[in-house]
Amino acid sequence: SVYHVFESVAKKYDIMNDSMSLGIHRLWKDTLLHQMNPYPGTQLLDVAGGTETNAGDIAFRFINYIRSQWDHQIRQKLKSHQNLSWQEISKSYQQEENELPGGSQVVVCDINKEMLKIGKQKAQHLGYSEGLSWVVGNAEELPFIDNKFDVYTIAFGIRNVTHIDQALQEAYRVLKPGGRFLCLEFSQVNNPLISRLYDLYSFQVIPVLGEIIAGDWKSYQYLVESIRCFPAQEEFKAMIEDTGFLKVEYQNLTSGIVAIHSGFKL
Amino acid sequence: RRASGGQKGREQQQLFDSALLQFLVCPLSKKPLRYEESTNELINQELGIAYPITDGIPNMIPQAARMIDRKIQDEESKKT
Repeated sequence: SVYHVFESVAKKYDIMNDSMSLGIHRLWKDTLLHQMNPYPGTQLLDVAGGTETNAGDIAFRFINYIRSQWDHQIRQKLKSHQNLSWQEISKSYQQEENELPGGSQVVVCDINKEMLKIGKQKAQHLGYSEGLSWVVGNAEELPFIDNKFDVYTIAFGIRNVTHIDQALQEAYRVLKPGGRFLCLEFSQVNNPLISRLYDLYSFQVIPVLGEIIAGDWKSYQYLVESIRCFPAQEEFKAMIEDTGFLKVEYQNLTSGIVAIHSGFKL
Repeated sequence: RRASGGQKGREQQQLFDSALLQFLVCPLSKKPLRYEESTNELINQELGIAYPITDGIPNMIPQAARMIDRKIQDEESKKT
């Protein structure tokens, strides 16, 4: 089962992630944030947030991004000699203590409560607490009101959802009009040479690595299979369009090993 | 703003942020919930189910919810 897989690999997942993707998974997530380009005030829902060691990866990046945007705004104002009163300056410091800039909020929702618990502890250690909530929930049946969020992200989580169309419908429902759907997921490689290397890598190397590092060959085989079974770029784009999203696009990263799909609720 | 968890459970459970109730709903009915401080649960009165909160994290998976005893529910509605 999906849950068993996560339980059995969780503790060594970070090492595996880094060796499997050669640390590139961090760049993929950074790219997701740059595409999102959130502004202070954005309400984010991050679904199927990952595993115990990845917990909160997207949320923390989002918070960093918003904070640096805010700092940049303040610095720009100072540079252009706009009248920034002492009240405004002190307010900008106050905001960082009590809430995220602009009243931004992040909700991390995942089916795995252990993952969320660890994510929450991690957040407290790293100083990300305000404006960040953790909710155990199912992507196919979200416990949120309609039209709530500006952005919905799902990073390396949708391929493990049983009914992808239901997850997409729920994403549509909870997004505000004008809101954006963003999915970062393994996809199909578009270059024949790289494709062969990737096949070799995923069917030969990864299970062996899985056995050596995590001692769990079967779980990694399952992961590799789930990547293989997930629809290719165009097919997934069509599914997103069928849900009702508009201006649906995708961007291939690393020759299509991974893709970011984006759509808007308009 | 923050609902207290009671003195007894304070060490074990973290506080539940009741601000979540502004947008958190029952995943089945999509209707609002009530925070029950005594049991630290989120109640869907209409369906008679209660979702648990652990370490301040609400568990909104329907399988995790428990059925509220109908008899107790009737008694409580008589009180109010």
